Amino acid sequence: MSASIALPGATDRYEAPSTREPLWVKVTLITLALSFFAVFLLLPLGTVFAEALRKGWGTYLTVLVEPDALASIRLTLLVAAIAVPLNLVFGVAAAWAIAKFEFPGKRLLITFIDLPFSVSPVISGLIYVLMFGAQGWFGPWLAEHDVKIIFAVPGIVLATVFVTFPFVARELIPLMEAQGTEEEEAAVVLGASGWQVFWHTTLPNIKWGLLYGVILCNARAMGEFGAVSVVSGHIRGKTNTMPLHVEILYNEYNYAAAFAVASLLALLALVTLGLKALVERQANRQRREALRERAESSGE
Amino acid sequence: MGIAIRNISKHFGAFRALDDVSIDIPSGELVALLGPSGCGKTTLLRIIAGLEHADAGSILLDGEDASSQHVRERNVGFVFQHYALFRHMTVFENVAFGLRVKPRKERPSSAEIRKRVYRLLELVQLDWLADRYPSQLSGGQRQRIALARALAVEPRVLLLDEPFGALDAKVRKELRRWLRRLHDEIHVTSVFVTHDQEEALEVADRVVLLNKGQVEQIGSPDEIYDHPNSPFVAGFLGSVNLFHGRVEDGHLHVGEHALPVGEGQGALDEAVGYVRPHEFDLLPATADSGIPAKIERVISVGPVAQIELTREDGELIEVEVYRDALDELGLREGDRVSLRPRAIRVFRKEPLAA
Repeated sequence: MSASIALPGATDRYEAPSTREPLWVKVTLITLALSFFAVFLLLPLGTVFAEALRKGWGTYLTVLVEPDALASIRLTLLVAAIAVPLNLVFGVAAAWAIAKFEFPGKRLLITFIDLPFSVSPVISGLIYVLMFGAQGWFGPWLAEHDVKIIFAVPGIVLATVFVTFPFVARELIPLMEAQGTEEEEAAVVLGASGWQVFWHTTLPNIKWGLLYGVILCNARAMGEFGAVSVVSGHIRGKTNTMPLHVEILYNEYNYAAAFAVASLLALLALVTLGLKALVERQANRQRREALRERAESSGE
Repeated sequence: MGIAIRNISKHFGAFRALDDVSIDIPSGELVALLGPSGCGKTTLLRIIAGLEHADAGSILLDGEDASSQHVRERNVGFVFQHYALFRHMTVFENVAFGLRVKPRKERPSSAEIRKRVYRLLELVQLDWLADRYPSQLSGGQRQRIALARALAVEPRVLLLDEPFGALDAKVRKELRRWLRRLHDEIHVTSVFVTHDQEEALEVADRVVLLNKGQVEQIGSPDEIYDHPNSPFVAGFLGSVNLFHGRVEDGHLHVGEHALPVGEGQGALDEAVGYVRPHEFDLLPATADSGIPAKIERVISVGPVAQIELTREDGELIEVEVYRDALDELGLREGDRVSLRPRAIRVFRKEPLAA
């Protein structure tokens, strides 16, 4: 015990006899954990690819280049391409305001940022229907001016932006708070303009955290089902994103096609995980450095 | 390039950080803002820089009102307690930053920037670290780079916020001598904030003592040390021994003993005499003047002996003498002596003085 306190982080922490469990406990726990992991995570993932490829590569590729499938892929990419940059800008702006400035209503703003996490996605979608739908607040006005939001691409983008809003901001706020405002102050005193302060001091310090937030945001934007399902109207080839298309195919007992499109989403998830692992390491390093520098300078 | 601080007040909620503070800082001086924590000294420095906005009053830089000027237009150099170096930039880029962000018209050529950065790095004697990152430097090195960075824009005034506060004792001592020499070389009007009276007295041309958001005293280090104008100043600039009594006929009467305080001192019914530990003469107990006391403990700190004595009424007195002097007198713990102050500063006893 004393050895593990004297040498925190040393490998012998796991070897210390006083903290070692009997062999059977170890084996049982590890087996339990691994079987859970296999049954609930690996097996479904494997099934997706197995089902998708059951009828061979030829069929797999034919169902993917089918026009409606292609349209859903295009739409998903389009929605992500709009929603992610928007939330990148909103997220950075919100985090910057919250972490670097003091203003009344700050706690309230933080709560609002978390709102999309706490509200069921279906409700999020419903809000937009109530606002912009035919019977909604702005419905008649929109109809008059021939603007279609609900059951069209703008509605899908809006719902996606709402649902994915917290990812970037949530990732950046703790990082920016740990880094404090002294570097920005130093830059301003040296004559830097607001943009120069942002580009030359704030952004380089948060770039890994930002990238991490964007990756998570993107994964969610492409995978979102509930909110999008409410506002999309499920018009084949027009307002179906990939997750919605999967559902339609599945309901039509077109398993091969459903799993083929699903496998693309699963692949996206795997790539995201890989990227996330890479970026997370850098992001954590950045945060650790910020915290350590703080501790060093205030501890002395 | 002098600084004039005119009637500055600042509140944080209900807390009064600065209360009608006015100070004139002549061109080329190195001035210390000294005071206990919470006295408003850092707030005042940040107001001069423009990083904080005063509720009332104005700041004049070089005669012109800078109160409504933006920080970036004031052209001041600011050195932060925790350095605030740009962690993702090399030392060279840190120092060059202020030049690189200038508008295109005023920006020097990159060859000129290079020349100026290296000249500054030589000035702080760290040109060999140009390619390092801040995290690879020691605390003292970082603070010197921060100083070079602040000087790069040729500021009208240099402001330093507890510049040595985060450094260990030895480096701190070296750096403050070095700052003094640097200031003698470049003569830019400088204000530094510190809570360490030794640092203020050693480095500054003039010391401004702040307490609870107000100026207590302004003067040269010797002036405020030798002639404190309030009990607070006397107490803040090093340890003191207190003698309560009454003043009459140029003497402070403490119990049955009388200590001369000079003819200039008017009579006071309730007075407190302040005597610093090193301002006592130790006399044999048989001497006919002074205050009798008994030596309780002798602590040697290098060449100096700190002696704790108790008066007849049990109150503690601290005295400092050179160890050789103590040896010559042949005094040891338990001996009785008579203490004669060489200097006493007398103030009227304040109703609720600590």
